[in-house]
Parts: sequence; structure tokens; C-alpha cells
Amino acid sequence: MTPVATTHPVQLLVCGNDDRCDDGAAIWATLDLIDGLPPAGLAEFGARMCGALDVEHLLEVPAGDMVVIADAAIGVRPGHVVTLTFDELLEQPHGPAPHSSHTLPIDQVIGIARALKGGSVDGLFVGLGGSEFGFGSVPSAVVRRALPEFAAAIQAAIQRLAEQPAASGA
Amino acid sequence: MTHGMGHTADTERHFDVGQLTRVEGEGSLTLRVRDGKVEEAHLGIFEAPRYFERLVVGRTPDEVIDIVARICGICPVAYQMSAVHAFEALFGVEIEPQTRALRRLFYCGEWIESHALHVYLLHAPDFLGYPSAIELARDHRAVVERALTMKRTGNALVARLGARPIHPLTVRVGGFSRVPRRDELLALRPALDEALATAQATVDFVASLSAPDFQRNPRLVALRHPAEYPMNDGRIVSNDGLDVPIDGWREAFAEDQVAWSNALQARTRAGEVYLLGPAARVTLSAERLHPFAAEALARLGMAEQIRRNPFWSIAARAVELVHATAEAIDIIDAYVPPSAPYVKWAARPGATGWATEAPRGLLFHHYEIDERGLVAAAQIVPPTSQNQAAIEADLTAFAPSVLDLPHAEATLRLEQMIRSYDPCISCATHFLDVRIEEAAP
Repeated sequence: MTPVATTHPVQLLVCGNDDRCDDGAAIWATLDLIDGLPPAGLAEFGARMCGALDVEHLLEVPAGDMVVIADAAIGVRPGHVVTLTFDELLEQPHGPAPHSSHTLPIDQVIGIARALKGGSVDGLFVGLGGSEFGFGSVPSAVVRRALPEFAAAIQAAIQRLAEQPAASGA
Repeated sequence: MTHGMGHTADTERHFDVGQLTRVEGEGSLTLRVRDGKVEEAHLGIFEAPRYFERLVVGRTPDEVIDIVARICGICPVAYQMSAVHAFEALFGVEIEPQTRALRRLFYCGEWIESHALHVYLLHAPDFLGYPSAIELARDHRAVVERALTMKRTGNALVARLGARPIHPLTVRVGGFSRVPRRDELLALRPALDEALATAQATVDFVASLSAPDFQRNPRLVALRHPAEYPMNDGRIVSNDGLDVPIDGWREAFAEDQVAWSNALQARTRAGEVYLLGPAARVTLSAERLHPFAAEALARLGMAEQIRRNPFWSIAARAVELVHATAEAIDIIDAYVPPSAPYVKWAARPGATGWATEAPRGLLFHHYEIDERGLVAAAQIVPPTSQNQAAIEADLTAFAPSVLDLPHAEATLRLEQMIRSYDPCISCATHFLDVRIEEAAP
């Protein structure tokens, strides 16, 4: 990966449960990424496991940091990877969305966080459509095949946000 | 939220409301109106059946406790509590008093996070005229921050006892797989002190709201305990004389299938609708509230409104927030760890049932255990399925009073009423589609 000259701090929020089949997609994809994180040249980077995404996860991101939400996705064909800006998520409340935005829908989660943080909550959602969300610690075949692409998309999202000018959105 | 309204050649009038995001789950409401009278009110639940009652068959009791927690991400403790008590009743397991107190503490955590979510983020926007908590947060930042603070405290309590805030892991027959040290619980005291103050402020906040004037005389059902506010023990009672043992739900009630819902509806054996939840608990067990909560209820002066007007369920939740935080503090202050995390037990065959009080109301589980100690059959009756028929009855009674209002306002009132019951249709997706059809005379 090409080193980034001037980087924007990025926080990676890894959502889902790895004992619910495809719900663990982001966890497995991130494990595959560990050796490559943070991307070369990215000086400030954080990652946390969130389980179910909540408003507080976004509020706890340091002010000004960009956010990558990685999660299994609903509203997406199984095995298909999507990358959406937060604004795009808000514009399509019934479109693709994180599977683990559970207590409140994703537009509420981001909207409330933005309202409380003065609009400084911004970033990208990277999702992988799943097909099985029952009990089990292995993903479905379609998700397993797509994990490398999902991992690459997460890494690309981190890189893309890192290259953002400090004052702008995704 | 999108709204639409249409007319079809003098025969029917349609009001369509697109998506409502402040209920848990996926459902629809259809009202058929003729001459200003609601002929039919159907709360449709079209989310696919989830088959948990079949998933647990062939599993051990401890596996079942883990599985049923997955039914709901907001009230998993309730599912675990109803299951574990049912198994312990059949197996003759006597838990230590300290373990029993920990289970109440566990439940307090769930009530705090669930009620805080509903009062502030799901229901308050209706009362304050906002389409969602986003707009509420812009204008009333402190209100939303209160909600998040309380939710965080409730989640921390559940996580301390259950290893994680959602779908906890530690409940098992005979106790817990691990119990906290005293210092681990004491670490939660400052947050709970703050939560208690916030809960008291919530009562004052609720007192400042106004609600539609709608009165009815519902049949209220809840657990009642001789000495405690109901959570895990007691008898199933109603305000019209029902009084059966905690395992006797099937004596008094029955489930039935209706064409418009994938969730079974429940009624009394006589076919009557009934209502569960905070309003029922506060009404039936007001004298068992923690003194701080009893004082809050008296300060509100709304006991009768809570009983008769579903919109004031928000007040009942506020009172229960005070109760849950105050009781949690008392339990922590008195806590001495049990001598062992769990007591040993042996499975025995037979049938068993138990009810506990989920945030949304009475949650009943019934299991049959075979000779191998495995579940042979299960029945799980969540509060929302029991409340469905009462919601439809209330909508039938309430809707005529709003049909003359501008469409958007009428729709808002109907949605607000539905949200009053905090329906947890499921935890997967979040929308409710409301359709009002007005037939020709």
C-alpha cells in the first residue's frame, strides 16, 4: 500500500458477533487485516470491537477523527461488498445498513451522534451482505468467499479517510 | 417517515404512512373506517416467524438459556430469567438469597437501559413534537444525553453480571457461571447515583409533558409479590380478580393465530384482551415500589392516568426508572457474594413454566423436559404478543377522536399510541406501516 504523506486520524469500529454466522463477517475480515493495520503512513489509528453499534460508540470517537464502520450488512446481496459515506446511509434509511445497528436504526445512530457532537461525526460504512445469521461460529460459504474482498474494502476505506483533508467529510 | 393520502373513486379513502422508526420490529397497522367508526384495527406483524420454540428442542437447559437470550437484544435478561426459573422450579433447585438478589440486580440493569431508551429516544419525540430523536437532540441536547447516560449505566450493570451488555452469557441453572466481587459492583455506585438523580429528573420531565385525553378501563395483568416490586417471583394477577400461580399462565390465558399477524395473539380463556407492562405493574403493585419511586409516583400524581390512559405509560416507565436505579443501589450496598456462583442440580423429566416481568410486561415460558434432561417442547409467550389485541382494541376506541384532525396530526397520534406500548415486534428491523382505509357508507 502506498504510504500516506499527511494523514487524518481514523477509528475503525468492528461490529457484529462471531457466534452468529455471517454476523461475524467484520471480525473475521479484520483479523485478516491485522498485519496490514494501520496502513503504512497512517500515524493515528484506533480500532475497537463494538458488538452492536450504538450512539455512544460514535460519541467516544475523538473529535475530528474519521470513522470506518465495518459490519455485516442488511439490504445487500449476500457476498456483495458496499462502501457508503455516512451521508449516503442517512439518505437511504431503508437501503444498505449495518446489520448490528440494533437498538436504533443507523440513521438515528449517526443522526443523534452528529447532533450531539456538532456534526463532526463522519466516515464510511463498509458492509458485506450475509445470508445466514443463526447460531454458528463459521460464516456461510458465500460470505467466506467474499471475506478477502471485504477486508480489502475496509483497508481501502481507512486509506481513503486518512487522505481526507482534516476539516472535510468523507 | 413518509406520509401519503389518497382517494379511490368515492369508495375508499386511504391514508398511508410509510416508515416509523421508533418501534422495535417490523409491522403494520390497518384501520378500516366507515362513517367515522373504526370497524377494524389490525396490528399486522409480518416479520418472518423465528422458530425459537423449535430451536430449543433437544437442547440442555443451560443451552436453552443462552439461546433464548438471542430472541431480543433489548431484553435478553428477561428471556434468560423466565427460562432459568422454569428449569429450577422443575428440578427443585434452591438458589442462595444472594444469587436471587443478583438476578434482581440483573433485571434492574435491563429495565434501566430499556426504559431510558423508550422514554427519551422512542417516545419523548412524540410528546415534544419532533419527528425523531435526532431533531430532539439538536434542540434538547441535555434530554438526549440523559437518555444515553442512563442507558450506559443499565448496560454497564448487565455487562458486569452477564459479561456483555447484549445477549449476556453467565446465567445458568443454579445461579451464574461467575458472580461479581463486591468491589466490582461498588465500582458501579457512582454511575448509579447519577442515574438515580437522572431518573428523578426524568419524572419531572415527564410531568411537564401533555398527552391526548383518552380514557379507557383496561384489564391489567402483571406479577404481584407479597413483599417486592415484581420481577422474578410472585403470582399472576389482574385488576379484575385473576390470581394464579406464576406457572399458571396456561390456566388463565391462551394463544391464538390471527390472519394478519405472524405473532400469536393471547387472550384470557374467556376471550378477553388484557394489557401488560409498566402501567400494569405500577397499578397493581404501587405499594411495592421502592420508597423513592413511590414518592416519585405521588409527586407525579398520575396513578389514575397511568391506569386509564395508555399515553401515560411514559410516566409509568419514569417511575420504574427510579425504582430500578434505587433498588440496584440497595442491592449493591447490601451485597455479599454467594458462597458459590451456582448450586449443583440434576435434571428431571416433567413440565414446567415460569413468568417474569420483562420491561414490556409479563414474559411466560413453558418447557417439557424428557428423560434425558433435554427440552422436548417449549412455549414462549412474549409481552408484545400478549398486548397485540389490547393495542388493537385501544386503537379502535381512540381512532375516531383523531379522524377529523389534519392527516399528519391524526397519524402522529395513532403512531404515538402504538409507541405507548413500546412494542418489541422483533429486534431485526424497524418499521411500522400505518394504513387507514375509510370505506364508503
